[in-house]
Amino acid sequence: MGRMLTFEIFRYNPEEKGTEPRMQTYRLEETANMTLFIVLNRLREEQDPSLIFDFCCRAGICGSCGMVVNGRPRLACQTKTKDLPDHIVLLPLPVFKLVGDLSVDTGVWFREMYQKTESWVHTRKVFDPSREEERMDNAVAEQIYELERCVECGCCISACGTARMRDDFLGAAALNRVARFVIDPRDERTDKEYFEIIGNDYGIFGCMGLLACEDVCPKHLPLQNQLGFLRRKMGITAIRNLFGK
Amino acid sequence: MSVDATMHVARPSRRDAYLDWIQMLTGVGLVLFMAFHTLLTSSIIFGAGALDGVAGFLETLHLDTLAHIFVPVLFFTHFVVAARKIPFRSDEQLAIWRDAKLLRHRDTWLWVVQAVSAMIILVLGAIHMWTNINDDAILAATSTARVQSGGWTFFYLLLVPLVQLHVFIGVYRIGVKWGFITDALRPKAVKILTIVFGCVTALALIALARYATMTV
Repeated sequence: MGRMLTFEIFRYNPEEKGTEPRMQTYRLEETANMTLFIVLNRLREEQDPSLIFDFCCRAGICGSCGMVVNGRPRLACQTKTKDLPDHIVLLPLPVFKLVGDLSVDTGVWFREMYQKTESWVHTRKVFDPSREEERMDNAVAEQIYELERCVECGCCISACGTARMRDDFLGAAALNRVARFVIDPRDERTDKEYFEIIGNDYGIFGCMGLLACEDVCPKHLPLQNQLGFLRRKMGITAIRNLFGK
Repeated sequence: MSVDATMHVARPSRRDAYLDWIQMLTGVGLVLFMAFHTLLTSSIIFGAGALDGVAGFLETLHLDTLAHIFVPVLFFTHFVVAARKIPFRSDEQLAIWRDAKLLRHRDTWLWVVQAVSAMIILVLGAIHMWTNINDDAILAATSTARVQSGGWTFFYLLLVPLVQLHVFIGVYRIGVKWGFITDALRPKAVKILTIVFGCVTALALIALARYATMTV
């Protein structure tokens, strides 16, 4: 017989008028290889069909099931109950707009971020579908791929002290996205052009180096290194500009 | 109020980058000063003659005069520039406090300690600088007399560890923010800085004990 787990889950549906946020307690017996994804589905099927949460791939790929588990933003599908104590508290990710209970709208935030950071390859070359693709150095391609692994779950933004205090801060997901284009040889933007996007307190200079982003990222992206890389690059760009270079 | 329309288009500015450089460089300047300051004040462990000798040597180079001018400038510039990151509004203070309590994340708590210690050091450090600038010379006799009078022992018992804490968290923060400490180096850097912090603070507190008990 497995452990009897107690789940304290945040409940609030902004669409239901007259209701107030509250914590609701559920109990469930632990089974082998149980993840929070399994827990939430079982709770909804067996105990409370009104429970709202997001999921899609159940394999840590879609980034939909981000939530705060015992204080830390994590993906529900990647979190095994055997790694948690008997008492588990689940909250929705802060910073993002609450849809209901554990479900938040990360889509609007990421869409806005993509527009702000102009998150696409900027090139003056005209695409010719009949031509062979340009070759890229394998090491560079791997470097880009490493940063492309972001699943946009929003955990880094929810854990960021600066993002919690200032809603105009871009956050690690956005800065990681910019770093991806900085190292992409196909993107023709200059350092000065990148500086215009992130060379301020809303961007890289707003980062206070709390590193919660690095420590909670479910995909273990090298966010700390990217933030340091961008700060040096943008800092040097500003100094160069001071000397008219 | 957050609105989608603005009355004017904001011009790209390099202000925030320069402020970040100033924050970092004034921080490094103060860290270097504190390293020399700790060495000077700790020389009292070896007796009043040792402190008077080291202080006398520095005074012949007029380093005390330079420090009296540049250290307050560095100190207050660092505060003014770094203050743009400190939450002064109660809703921001509540947000970071809730975040730190919820996350139970070491580096987030360290930042809270850094911000709180900054405010205390601003007041106590300014008082300490003012009294020292008004002293004619750095002498074991005057320093021990001051520490042993009034509540100055308790004043330094609070100031000394807080300054060391703020300095070491600051060094770590500069390292991770500017990428000198990478993710691979981070655990080792934390270990080294913690050990050095412990040693330096112990040294400073032993020196303080000497100031508080020595008869010159």
